[in-house]
Amino acid sequence: MNTAEVVVNMPPANAMEAGQFIQLDNVFKAYNNELVVMDGMNLDMRADDRLVIIGPSGSGKSSLLRVLMGLEGIQGGDINFHGQPYIKSENNDSKVVSDELHSRVGMVFQHYTLFPHLTVMGNLILAPMKVHGKDKQSCIAKGRELLARLGLEDKVDYYPSQLSGGQKQRVAIARALMLEPELMLFDEVTSALDPEMVTEVQNVMMQLAEQKMAMIIVTHDMHFAREIATRVVFCAGGKIVEQGTPDEVFGNPKEARTREFLDKVLHLN
Amino acid sequence: MEIDFSIIWPYMPVLMQGLWVTVAITLGCAIAGSLLGFVVSLGRMVNNVLVSGALKLYVEFFRGTPLLIQLFWIFFCFPVVLGISIPPYVSVIISLTLYMGAITSETFRGSLKSIEQEQHDACTALGLKHSTKVIYIIFPQALLRAIPPLLSNIVSLFKESALISSVGIADLMFIGQNISNSTAHPVEFLTTVAIIYFVVAFPLTRLVGYVESRMLTRYAI
Repeated sequence: MNTAEVVVNMPPANAMEAGQFIQLDNVFKAYNNELVVMDGMNLDMRADDRLVIIGPSGSGKSSLLRVLMGLEGIQGGDINFHGQPYIKSENNDSKVVSDELHSRVGMVFQHYTLFPHLTVMGNLILAPMKVHGKDKQSCIAKGRELLARLGLEDKVDYYPSQLSGGQKQRVAIARALMLEPELMLFDEVTSALDPEMVTEVQNVMMQLAEQKMAMIIVTHDMHFAREIATRVVFCAGGKIVEQGTPDEVFGNPKEARTREFLDKVLHLN
Repeated sequence: MEIDFSIIWPYMPVLMQGLWVTVAITLGCAIAGSLLGFVVSLGRMVNNVLVSGALKLYVEFFRGTPLLIQLFWIFFCFPVVLGISIPPYVSVIISLTLYMGAITSETFRGSLKSIEQEQHDACTALGLKHSTKVIYIIFPQALLRAIPPLLSNIVSLFKESALISSVGIADLMFIGQNISNSTAHPVEFLTTVAIIYFVVAFPLTRLVGYVESRMLTRYAI
């Protein structure tokens, strides 16, 4: 695979300070007023952070990403992006306040979610053309450049069904990058892949990390988490139980719940 | 009685005329019915209880009653109720179109609903507006998914169109039945009519399978 660098959009320098990039303030979310998945979550993310969120199933990891992407609402608390209201809860409901801020976040899902009736290039150029109003030729040129950097230059006219899982996931990453996001969300993007395809996707993510792309990654792969993270966040029961550098969380976890989880997961790995 | 299939040859041009009427009415009603069905499927998904309720009633009525009754009702009762005369051809076209519309609306509704939530999520994640999502992502996939069942619906309509002979339309069935009565050779003519229906319908049913497998390979949808 071509390992040339993927060019990423960098946030402004002032966003490197805590509180200026993404800030969660006492965020509460429950399904049907019963199943609490985010129970007063507080989080400060800097623009040069690569947060890896770990935790057992149902701990609120994916919910956090889906809320940040505007796919789901919250019932309490506030989320600020660049110091401005991003998602705000009102009357037990919520929505993304600003389309402009929303378009600065990109997301890659576990199951690729490519559009099956469009070619690889069709998948890449639709949003830049329709959302940012860019002309087709410049989008195609950018798409080709991005695909070449991800080692997919010969797949331009392929349909998603003609690609391997790893290739699909790289196309999904390229599709998100076409919008030049400042923050990328990765929701268990290697969980559905065969083991030999996991590395090719993780390599692309490492390229992004080397370019200081802000990322929030939900993963069960602890080795990859340790490798890519600047900060590891452990969630359980809808709460952030512990957070710190990879060395702190993996090497010397403070909380019993974290130790218990890591013992199980690392033993399994 | 002696069975002699050579008797059918002089009547073949007339039978072909009947086939032409059958095919023309089937195709016309299939196209009009599919368009109607598409609109109805969208109408049933709107949040207006009155609109969706009325359309549901229409769909359930036409799916829940025999086509023959629908043909008779529109042919005999419609003119009485409305106080206007409707030519037989128009009457059967209305019947078959309404019938096809009800059937295909369910096909379209099913395919629209079958688009996975992940596709909607991906559109939101990319910031696509609702109209862009519907036009570029949801409709194309739903239409592709609807093609195989739609072709099956058309094959069914082609066969069921034989019922229009009962209101005097000179289709393949009507002509075959008349010739068999007048020549007293029902075996030869009714068998020939059945074979003609089969020769047209069988490739279409094969086409359904082909389209389905090709779409599965290409688009995996």
